[in-house]
Amino acid sequence: MTPAWTLISAFAGALLVLLLPARAAGLARVIALAASIIGAVAAAAACLTKLQRLDAPAWSFDKPWIPELGIRFHLAADGLSLTLLLLTGLVAIAGVLFSWNVETRPRAFFAFFMTIIGGVYGVFLSRDGFLLFVFYEIVILPKYMLIAIWGSTNREYGAMKLTLYSIGSSALILIGLIVAYAASGGTSFDLNDLASFKYAPALQYWAFPILFLGFAVLAGMWPFHTWAPTGHVAAPTAASMLLAGVVMKLGAYGALCVAMPLFPQGFVEWRLVIAGLAVIGLIYGALTALQQKDLKFVIGYSSVSHMGLILLGLATATHWGLRGAVLQMISHGIIAGLLFGIAGRVVYARTHTRDFSALREFDLWRTLPGAAVAFTVATAASMGLPGFSGFVAEVAVVIGVWHSYPWLLLPVAVGLIVTGAFSLRAMHRAFFPERHALAAPAPPLPPLTWPEISAIALLSIFSLAIGIYPLPWVTLIDDGLRSPLFQSILSLP
Amino acid sequence: MNYSALFIQLLPEAVLVITALLLLGVAVAIEAKTQRPMPIDLTIVISAMGIAAACAALCYCPANLESGTTLLAMDPLARIFKAVVLMLGLLAVLLPPARNEIKQPGEFHALLLFALTGLLLTVGTVNLLFLFVALELASLSLYLLAGFSRSAKAAEAALKYFLFGGVSAAFFLFGLSLIYGFCHTLMLPDIAAKLATGPLPAYAVVGLVMGVVGLGFKLAAAPFHYWAPDVYEGAPATSVGLIAAASKAVGVLVLVRLLLTGFALAGGSAAWGAMQPGWSLWLGVLAAVSMVFGNVLALAQTSMRRLLAYSAVANTGYLLVALAANGTMAAGSALFYVVVYGLATFGALAVTAAVERDRGDDSLGSFAGLVHRSPLQALALLVFLTSLAGIPPLAGFVGKFVMFSAAMAETTTHGTPGLTWLVGLAAIMSAISLYYYLMVLKQAFVREAADPAPVAMSTSHRLAVLVPAVLVVGLGLFPALLLSPLAAALKATPGLGKQPTQSPPCNRQLRTN
Amino acid sequence: MGKSCANRFAIIWALVPLALVVGMGTHRALPADGILAHWQSMWLPDADIFLRFAVDGTSWLFLLLTSLVTLFALAATAKLGLGGRAYCALVLVLEGMLFGVFTARHFIPWFLCWEMTLIPSYLLIRLWGGPGAPRAALRFFIMTLGGSVFMLLGFLALQLSVGTMDFSKLAELASNKELVPLLAKTFASTGCTGQFLLGAVAVCVFLGLAVKLPVFPFHAWLPAAYAEAPTPVTMLLTGLLSKMGVYGLLRILLPIFPEVLPALAPTLMLLAVVTVLLGAVAALAQRDLKRILAYSSVNHLGYCAMAVVAAAAVQTDRSAHAAAISGTILQAFNHGIIASTIFFCIGLMEQRSGGARNLADFGGLRARAPIFCGLMGIALFASLGLPGLSGFVGEFLIFTGVFALVPWAAAVAVIGLLLTAVFFLRLVRLVFHGPLHPACAKWPDLTTGERWLLGPAIALIIIPGLCPQVLLHCLNADTVRLLDLLHILS
Repeated sequence: MTPAWTLISAFAGALLVLLLPARAAGLARVIALAASIIGAVAAAAACLTKLQRLDAPAWSFDKPWIPELGIRFHLAADGLSLTLLLLTGLVAIAGVLFSWNVETRPRAFFAFFMTIIGGVYGVFLSRDGFLLFVFYEIVILPKYMLIAIWGSTNREYGAMKLTLYSIGSSALILIGLIVAYAASGGTSFDLNDLASFKYAPALQYWAFPILFLGFAVLAGMWPFHTWAPTGHVAAPTAASMLLAGVVMKLGAYGALCVAMPLFPQGFVEWRLVIAGLAVIGLIYGALTALQQKDLKFVIGYSSVSHMGLILLGLATATHWGLRGAVLQMISHGIIAGLLFGIAGRVVYARTHTRDFSALREFDLWRTLPGAAVAFTVATAASMGLPGFSGFVAEVAVVIGVWHSYPWLLLPVAVGLIVTGAFSLRAMHRAFFPERHALAAPAPPLPPLTWPEISAIALLSIFSLAIGIYPLPWVTLIDDGLRSPLFQSILSLP
Repeated sequence: MNYSALFIQLLPEAVLVITALLLLGVAVAIEAKTQRPMPIDLTIVISAMGIAAACAALCYCPANLESGTTLLAMDPLARIFKAVVLMLGLLAVLLPPARNEIKQPGEFHALLLFALTGLLLTVGTVNLLFLFVALELASLSLYLLAGFSRSAKAAEAALKYFLFGGVSAAFFLFGLSLIYGFCHTLMLPDIAAKLATGPLPAYAVVGLVMGVVGLGFKLAAAPFHYWAPDVYEGAPATSVGLIAAASKAVGVLVLVRLLLTGFALAGGSAAWGAMQPGWSLWLGVLAAVSMVFGNVLALAQTSMRRLLAYSAVANTGYLLVALAANGTMAAGSALFYVVVYGLATFGALAVTAAVERDRGDDSLGSFAGLVHRSPLQALALLVFLTSLAGIPPLAGFVGKFVMFSAAMAETTTHGTPGLTWLVGLAAIMSAISLYYYLMVLKQAFVREAADPAPVAMSTSHRLAVLVPAVLVVGLGLFPALLLSPLAAALKATPGLGKQPTQSPPCNRQLRTN
Repeated sequence: MGKSCANRFAIIWALVPLALVVGMGTHRALPADGILAHWQSMWLPDADIFLRFAVDGTSWLFLLLTSLVTLFALAATAKLGLGGRAYCALVLVLEGMLFGVFTARHFIPWFLCWEMTLIPSYLLIRLWGGPGAPRAALRFFIMTLGGSVFMLLGFLALQLSVGTMDFSKLAELASNKELVPLLAKTFASTGCTGQFLLGAVAVCVFLGLAVKLPVFPFHAWLPAAYAEAPTPVTMLLTGLLSKMGVYGLLRILLPIFPEVLPALAPTLMLLAVVTVLLGAVAALAQRDLKRILAYSSVNHLGYCAMAVVAAAAVQTDRSAHAAAISGTILQAFNHGIIASTIFFCIGLMEQRSGGARNLADFGGLRARAPIFCGLMGIALFASLGLPGLSGFVGEFLIFTGVFALVPWAAAVAVIGLLLTAVFFLRLVRLVFHGPLHPACAKWPDLTTGERWLLGPAIALIIIPGLCPQVLLHCLNADTVRLLDLLHILS
């Protein structure tokens, strides 16, 4: 089973769901689940095969597409992409499970969902700039539809803001890619060819920020992050999980695997700015999350904060920093999925509120103990408690920061402490409120359903697995970092 | 002069004219007999068969037929574009007018066929005067088609179109005469040869500018676009479809032939920091103005047809960016894009026509809940509008990407940024355009329908929506199907493009930096 | 699965580790390096991070303590009417993590298990605790977390300069006095001396351990947490979680930082002594039974802290060192058993009195429940340090060692001993003797089930008191090895 099955299963799933007759609309979720499972299994199988034969050449699929411009349909998967594929697969399964009860227009919902998943798989597999951009853009319209039709708070405004930011940043990426293509002689769009070309430093100086900014906006870099909390809060649960968990990682992946290898000298010039903005995002996101009154907003801002850590890891340009950035991508993808899933599906669908003072009346740990335990685990993971994936990623990034910008350690530490504070506060206010002893007992709530339990278990187990035994993941990431794309970055002073 | 060869080369146009005359005859006969106008379905069938026959005639004509006349040029580019025009014409024919909109369907479709004839002749020539004549044949037919429905709006539309068109035709002709004054020849390849001997004198430059202005009107480039919103709004849907798709495609082709065949050496450069005077700079400015005007004004529209009109202006801007690059690949991509754009706009117009006949007007609110009422139409609208917005995997995205890449590749030399400013502006404007397309899609997909009944459409109308949708998706996935023939045709066309003085050797210097 | 079913399942399941530990202990002969069992797995090899666990004599003793106290707590849970699936699951997870802490030989597995005890204990206190539980649980969580952050920072500094976080390797490097120059080299940009840097790292590590132990002033979370938690959880807290701190002092602080501890010793000793005194004085002032015992725990563990600091302060007198260190371990083990037993008894009292546990709510119990009072009395006197019971051995060894090493501390700590005697005797007088309190008039004596629980516990209190060799022979080899590592001369 090659990694291409991830792509095939996702798009085939979307198509099948669309073709369902109206009477069989209930089958839509089953088909979506099957497609997600096939994709995840394909990714997992590819990871395992890679781990067993590390030196085997990476899987690749290469066919000419538009020969006049040197555009090829080139897919390939090295270790780094494989880990991100597996992340996508997990979040896809969990997303479908958390959306098991979607009643309105389920066919359209799951079709859009699977299209986004397929687009994300495609980005992680592409080795041609044009192809990457195609998959990057495919995701935009389904995002808008998912939020505008099935969303909640302020959904049309949130959807439009998110979409416009996305397409605006894509325009920047387009410009950057075309500049790279043109300056390298206009012969090939293949990322390896573009990256091996040595562009003039003057060109890199202005081309790099354009390309990087295009990706960084989607990655939620401060101060271009404002679309994220609004959009994520407005989106329905599965969409929030996808957006925060996986789609934001597209921006980070693009920054790592496209922007940085193409223009390494430009990267050197702008490294400090990126690191500074990342740290500001880390602290700003955490501080803002500390003041929120809505559970989903807390999680939204926490995503901004965690993405700041990823961008910081990228900016360190050290082996540990890049490793930590990718680990944090995987870890935060799982954790964000877990947090949004619980907040959206488990809590909001039952209580119809996310406001802390309103949730206090529900006394959630008594009425929904399973959700309380799950959210506690998710909070522990989000805080970076050892034993969970966040800890490994944070330690790796911190070591990277120490090697390159030691004086940034203090703000980073502050940010991490505030992260712990707001996570704890959210968990406390939402699930373990202090109620007056004589208050009326809270109304009973329907217990957790099997899809919810499965999804929570799946994500928690993986976060725990990475935290306790990170070696296979690190091996895969290192395999990806060994590629010539990153040598020019890693050998920087 | 080989008259039989000439006849074979002119067969498609002849077939069209015969069909038109046939239509007129049949219309008169039926009206005399039954005191009622000819049924519209009959006209559609006859016209469609005529166009199909013209297509067959086109295929029947062998490639390298020499007829000895200088008026016609049956190079591969012409063949491809004749096929394109015929296909777009067929689609326009399939789009039926509204009930009681057209009182004389026979005459209407006959005029349509005449317009197509004119467009076909325009495509197949490199003689400037013959080009003008053919263009006028097409234009006059289009003016009449625009005002055919006799409503107040249509009359206004036709009048504006005619006035603007007449003035621009005058500009074009005067420009031609100035050029002739310098070059003493009307054939584009000979003009190129004349230019190789020395630069254009001032009056010839004025002539060239006036020629471009005349064509700019045809393409609805700003600031010559003022006819577009009213014509798109007032004219019958079929006419608008033809104007938006076929007329525009031919306009771009004429521009490509004129500038790249005839005046390639007078191009100059629009590269930032390395600007040289020439039509390239002029096109660059026009492009920038069109893109900005078109997109900004489209943001405020509440009528779908006017929105599509301003979108047409914006898309002309993108096309002009590619043409300003003064290169073969860029021109090929521009031709690819104009076909794709034509299909997408036509499709959007077809869906709009159905909706406005159903709801009474073409405001954005009429599209509410379209996905619940007619899911296939809504899906087709999604395909068309996302193609126009430039979202993959549709042809519009591929076209824009290829255009911008080619434009950049052909102008970025010696490390200069080249046309980056223009391409950057185009990318950003294209991103902004998603907003107003999303406004329509939001109505169609997010809002609830006032009336859950499906939108009534005849079979030919459905075909007119389905075929462009399939083509847009297909060309998006396999763009090489159209792009490769176009690129090959451009390479095979004699005299196209200036002699290569800039390419790979200079880039090698970049590598060592 | 119903509550009682879950409880029973958990108790049976908890027998398995006990059996394994006991089995491990019946080795014919101790291997040369003293390691009974060893397990290693790769984590991040290129950063020299391995998951290394090993059981030597000391660890074995702590493992035995863990399995015993957990079993005791689970049985108490069933007795006191608590439990359930989630509860038992959390307790078993906690036990597992504790096993990890007591056997880890590398900082990463240590830290992983250390932190992973936080969530189960937090949930156990918060969800099944008393009215003040939310605040108490939160304070416990935050303070422990804060301390752990410092510990992490300290070890990260070591990793970045030395390149390893393995306890044995670090101890070897410390023994060869190589840590200071390595630290100085890596952190040369800060301009501090290597000695200062190592001292800073030691302080960071100490902070992490100090919150758990607890040492004044990081003990603020303890009384509320012990009081609000349900009784079985308090048994776990006092019996096991506090021992994590002691174990850490022995395994980490002492072997890795001998170069700087003598300089830090005066301050640390002051803190330890204050802890001892504070525990005793505060216990005197309390009226709530659980709080009395909570402060008494602070006091007893203060002795352990004192002993370790004393061992670190002075570099001579081998026999005193041996006494101090073995005394610490013994005190830890015995206090674990004794404190859990006392808290269990308090739990029984609380259950019979319907939730009251103030001193004023009881009186003259000897008349109603003589066996109960007898057994609880044995436990209380053991905690006091009565010779013949297990509590005496540890305290005696500690005092012997500390008196020889840092005499003034031992002298001041004796006051603590006296005060301990005072509040315990007062407790015995108020609760067991005196007129029968009307609320206790109808109290039954120990039921059969309760006797089966208390019996073995009391046996475990008496036996080590009468023949401490039973425990000491596990420790001797390790103590010798540690003293050699620290270059302690006679």
